[in-house]
Amino acid sequence: MINDEDLLLYHYRELDAADRARIGAALSAQPELAQRLQALVARLDAAAELPEVPVPPQALDRWRAALDRAATETRVSQVPRRFSIPVMWQAAAAAVTVFALIFSIQRIMQPEPQRAAGTEQPSAATGQPAPVESAYAHGLKFHLASTERRLASLGEASPEDRARMIDTIIGQNQMYALAAERAGEPQLARVLRAFNPILEDLADGRSDTTAADISQLSFELRVMQARLGAGAKSSNIL
Amino acid sequence: MLTLLKSWVRPDAFHAVLNERSVRWYNACLRITRDADLAADAVQEALLKAWNHRDEFRGEAALDSWIHRIALNAAIDLTRKRKRRAEDELDPESFEAGPASSAESQYVEQAFGKDLATAMQRLSTKERQIFLLKHVEGWRLEEVSESLQMPIGSVKNSLFRAVRKLRVDLQVWRGDHD
Repeated sequence: MINDEDLLLYHYRELDAADRARIGAALSAQPELAQRLQALVARLDAAAELPEVPVPPQALDRWRAALDRAATETRVSQVPRRFSIPVMWQAAAAAVTVFALIFSIQRIMQPEPQRAAGTEQPSAATGQPAPVESAYAHGLKFHLASTERRLASLGEASPEDRARMIDTIIGQNQMYALAAERAGEPQLARVLRAFNPILEDLADGRSDTTAADISQLSFELRVMQARLGAGAKSSNIL
Repeated sequence: MLTLLKSWVRPDAFHAVLNERSVRWYNACLRITRDADLAADAVQEALLKAWNHRDEFRGEAALDSWIHRIALNAAIDLTRKRKRRAEDELDPESFEAGPASSAESQYVEQAFGKDLATAMQRLSTKERQIFLLKHVEGWRLEEVSESLQMPIGSVKNSLFRAVRKLRVDLQVWRGDHD
């Protein structure tokens, strides 16, 4: 005899494998048991079905103000804590960020069906013409790949070469940011532009870039990746 | 240049997700706390905690799910603190399983409808929180146990008790029969 508590734990997927298999088999064999579970869940769903109440406007204002205040405090607390680490390490940090950037952008530029399936659809099999990559998309991919290579060699470059390489990257970043905007991808444009100040600091040999700046950029990239990666698997709890 | 660089340290992603999802966070916290002020405090606490720990955001879940979970934990903590304060000041018995206060009743009646309100009111604070975390939020029993600082066996028992009460009440009020 299967009681309601076991049925409920089965519904919540809280049973061990053996009990789950036992109850699953019983549900398949006994329609009345399946009906009982359905009725139980429907009743609990009804109890849980609660209408949403609007957020009081003053609460919303308070949350926004608190966030802005926290951001201001972050800015203020950053000023005295400057990095004074070798350029090589800064370059490594920037390179890590660029890798994340490249990954995000590649995800953005992947055609929708491919993104959903996670595999390439051969055009011959579907009978559809293969998607033609635009000059913009092709150019951006090339730019990102060459940025990756240049950043990897930054640590060994002379200060003049480093400045020249970074200038080239920044110039191309700006060009692609503009192209991204025109292509209706403002988020991509914003990320491309936001990366430039960090590169400029590296080029100038100034140690203005703080750990928080790089971590903020990485955070924004992760948010973008999470948005792109449909169906989050799990969440980390504070 | 420095100003431009610093402009990165701004809560853009947070503001965006706040505009989109705050109703969901607020309502989830309101159900846990049954107190509008506590729910608003929980959301604010969650936003600030998430902002201060944004380095720990791994992107495994969407930002809004991450904040939602932090907000629920904050709501549970705030309810626990309020209860502790109330116990220090008043009769402890009145805060465990008794009916909600008049302000709570008003909110519950408005939001839940009369029959559901009555059914929910028959649940103790713990029973209601466990039912909501499990059935509505889909938390694992281990997560509920950790958040409420209760042994998992007690969590299960409270959940079953809540379900029995809700079943009976809804059956009577709605005229449902198995």
